[in-house]
Amino acid sequence: MEYGPVKAVKNISFDVLQGEIFGLLGPNGAGKTSTLSSIEGLIKYKTGSIIVDGQEVREKPLHAKAAMGVQLQSTSFQPELNVVEILRLFAGIYGVPMDKDKIHGILKEIGLEDAAGKKFSQLSGGQQQRVSLVIATIHNPRLVLLDEPTTGLDPQARRQLWERIEGIRERGHAVLLTTHSMEEAEAVCDRIAIVDHGQIIAIDTPQNMIDKHKNDPEVIAVSRRGKVTLEDVFIALTGRAVRA
Amino acid sequence: METIIPKSSTALASLLRADFTTLVRNRRSVVLALLVPNIILVSWKGLVKHTGGPFVLATAVVIGLMAIGLMGYSITIARDRDKGIFQRLRVAPLPTWTIMVSRIMVQLFMIILLTLVVFIVGYQFDGILLSVSGYVLTFFVAFIGGAVYLSLGQLIVGLIKNPETVNATTRLVYFLFIMTGMFGDLSQFNDMGKLGPYLTWMAHWSPYGCVKIMTAASMEPTKWGHDNNMALLLSIGYTIVFAAIGIKNFKWESR
Repeated sequence: MEYGPVKAVKNISFDVLQGEIFGLLGPNGAGKTSTLSSIEGLIKYKTGSIIVDGQEVREKPLHAKAAMGVQLQSTSFQPELNVVEILRLFAGIYGVPMDKDKIHGILKEIGLEDAAGKKFSQLSGGQQQRVSLVIATIHNPRLVLLDEPTTGLDPQARRQLWERIEGIRERGHAVLLTTHSMEEAEAVCDRIAIVDHGQIIAIDTPQNMIDKHKNDPEVIAVSRRGKVTLEDVFIALTGRAVRA
Repeated sequence: METIIPKSSTALASLLRADFTTLVRNRRSVVLALLVPNIILVSWKGLVKHTGGPFVLATAVVIGLMAIGLMGYSITIARDRDKGIFQRLRVAPLPTWTIMVSRIMVQLFMIILLTLVVFIVGYQFDGILLSVSGYVLTFFVAFIGGAVYLSLGQLIVGLIKNPETVNATTRLVYFLFIMTGMFGDLSQFNDMGKLGPYLTWMAHWSPYGCVKIMTAASMEPTKWGHDNNMALLLSIGYTIVFAAIGIKNFKWESR
């Protein structure tokens, strides 16, 4: 995948299994969002293949999109629509029958019964993320893509969202998420891949990755608390330089 | 977990419902789009006996069509693109044409509403009454005129990404068309201003002028002549060129 002369993503290969939360970690500009955008069909890739639900995304884009649910980094809905109207819109788009009772049930489940008539922009950050997440899973997709789902949330809202993401996994969905939070990766991801300069430089479970690198001199050098964390491994692997 | 690809018609129906809800919620801008042409219609009552009813009605319709195509369509497209609303829709299993068709359907509804309101106000306040064939033909011509300005709106959002710049550009084009169009129109009356032959010719065959002379003639179908055929052909030409460039250069995201 290229932006002019710059190759944003090259030779990235990974699988996300049913009932698994897979995290893509990387510094700014590493290629996480570009990878996700290719899977979502927002960016056309020139080489390689992306298979979702047994179908190549480039060849069967509608099938692939129907098999996945997406929460974008900055999700926005028509500001004039209220929560119920947004739910109705996306239920219709995904071909999911939605009556009043079902909508009421969904809103109750995400704790937004009182916000049914509120516009999306009137909701708090945590409430907006809950609505976005419920829309991403409204059609019971096989794969759920979450692009930095907890950015900007307070600790309570973040914890609550983690539980919801784990709930998605427990229902058998495959979850692919990107995050800058090592705490989040350790807390919810079954496996993670660290991406840098458009390539995967490490892929494993969070704990295995720590165990594998905890004695590396680079990791020890960046460790701040006497105990090696995933963030120490991440910094050691991707470098200390601040990215744009 | 069975994957079901929803029908395009179901998705389009949902988009239409949402877009019409948005239109209803934005009723202030709807009223404004209808208000300007009707203010002209009412305030030009004195001109009816000099220029004829169709001239006044056509001016009101064309100014309304410009407001719909330039302000109604392009500004909301630029805003929604900037907010990421299109990106959210594009990751859903619907053909991208359904997103635009839904938006255009809303504008077509606005064109019907505008034309109807202008006819009613024209009759009530200015006593302008057309033949049945005049009313019917004007509706068709209003669609063609609407297509010219919608495609011009598409051209603007295709070439310009920043919503503020789109906003400023559409207002500038709107103002420019109204001014050149009106001066061009008024230059036909000896004592009401002159643009000179070159500028009058340009105003006459501009997107404003073409739609205007076509609309005026459609109200009196018996007077439809060679000039109107030329205006029709030019309007179709403008629409094709503007739409082709606008669609080719259109980006679904603003960054």
